[in-house]
Amino acid sequence: MKASRREAIVLGALPFVAIVVAWAVLPHVINYPAYMLPPISAVLRFAWESIQDGSLVRNIAASLARLAAGFAIGMGLAIPLGLAIAMNRHIADLFRPLLSFLQAIAGIAWVPLTIIWFGIGNGSVIFVIANTIFFAALYNTVLGVETIPLALHRAVRSHGGHGIKLVTQLLLPGALMQILLGMRTSVAYGWRALVASEMIAGSSGLGYMTMEAVQWQRVEVIILGMIVIGVLWVIMDRALFATLERRTIGRWGLMQR
Amino acid sequence: MTSVVTGDAGFARPWRLSRRAARTLKGVTGIVLMLVAWQVSVPIIGMSSYFYPAPLDVWAAFVDLVRKGVLPIYIADSLGRYGAGVGIGAALGIVFGIAIGLSRRTSLAFSPLFKFLFALVEVAWIPIFVVWFGYGVKTIVLALIYVVFFPVMYNTLLSVRTAPAVLVNAVRSLGGGRIAVMRYVILPSALPGMITGLRLAAGFAFRGLVFGEFIAAKTGVGYLIFEGAQSQQTSRSIVGMIIMGLMWLAIDQFYLRPFERATVQRWGLIVDAADRR
Repeated sequence: MKASRREAIVLGALPFVAIVVAWAVLPHVINYPAYMLPPISAVLRFAWESIQDGSLVRNIAASLARLAAGFAIGMGLAIPLGLAIAMNRHIADLFRPLLSFLQAIAGIAWVPLTIIWFGIGNGSVIFVIANTIFFAALYNTVLGVETIPLALHRAVRSHGGHGIKLVTQLLLPGALMQILLGMRTSVAYGWRALVASEMIAGSSGLGYMTMEAVQWQRVEVIILGMIVIGVLWVIMDRALFATLERRTIGRWGLMQR
Repeated sequence: MTSVVTGDAGFARPWRLSRRAARTLKGVTGIVLMLVAWQVSVPIIGMSSYFYPAPLDVWAAFVDLVRKGVLPIYIADSLGRYGAGVGIGAALGIVFGIAIGLSRRTSLAFSPLFKFLFALVEVAWIPIFVVWFGYGVKTIVLALIYVVFFPVMYNTLLSVRTAPAVLVNAVRSLGGGRIAVMRYVILPSALPGMITGLRLAAGFAFRGLVFGEFIAAKTGVGYLIFEGAQSQQTSRSIVGMIIMGLMWLAIDQFYLRPFERATVQRWGLIVDAADRR
């Protein structure tokens, strides 16, 4: 087990090493304008500078805070509303096509409109993320409640469950798997929406940092931004969602394999 | 609640709509209700149509765009870019996924890199593509190829890796060569992964298309949304958003779903039968 793990790490590191080597060798092989791909040292120097003056940390914090705010607003609104809609089958039938349509256009497509509504800055960006998370979570909540087996419904009802009890004992736990499964994808969409809307409508954050650098053709800034965006998503996906899924869906034996 | 259990088909009252039709009717009612609520809310909110256009403004903008012949061209351009990006990305993803998945060592070596590149969202590549290739279709299609390639490849690779060794041995011991193993074991077991990857990628790619067209295009549905807002013709933006939603639902309904049904179910059954024996 240990040996195979070490093998995986060593083998897995190889392509990264190969990329770095290719990056270092490339200017000597192919002739291209230096601004198009600055040397690794330039990226490292810029990384060091932006860590020292605190701008990188500020941009990361700004992006993550917006993601968190948008996530909290979107989920906070969507789950109660979704449960309310799903309580009644007729209302759920009424809204499902509308919701699936709104889910289809949620996210990035709203950015031009939010610039009109909220101007450039936090408001626009948070609205877009909240909107992405909201429609995905709403749709998944309604869907989740609908997939609760009828037998369970009848069992809870016949034991006198109604009102709040029905929600806490049946609807919420029953819909939770669908909500959680949907959450991972919807946060993935939200993360894209965040980066995209910061590029167009932001005044700070990682997306803003990368897009702003295009004007000055500072590719080392763009590359650093890309690496940070990638690493942050890996950390979030691994640390948060994989753990969450293991702790909840896995433990309750609901994982579909 | 009784209509859920439709065991009484023979006794169904003739004047009743079928359950499907009733659902569709309700869904349409929901959309109409939303449109009416939106139209009514406009005078109440009392903002200019630049800030908060009414459904009727949007309809007028739609008619105008169709009459000028702009909309069909934009839709065709967007679909062309999407088709090219997804097609190339998926083809490359499947080929590389199978090739890498066949060897344990290569898949060990490439998995972390591919995971990282998948995490590096396509949106983040657009600035550097703009520096390298300029504003234009090339940048958009490359971003789409990128976003489709990784999920398709990674999921294909995983499925190939989990192809049951028993089946490979069975085909081999019956005298099947490499081609037979590929045809009867590797490809069928790679299919679920391909489909999973393609479904995931199709959604990301569609958002990527719209964002790419915001930044780097002069035609297309994304450009319509962006340009409408920039030129203070907000109702045009909303036409673009609605068209975008309809396009996605059409892609989902007529392309992804039937594809999924035809392949996974057909091939899935074969693997299933093999498992049982």
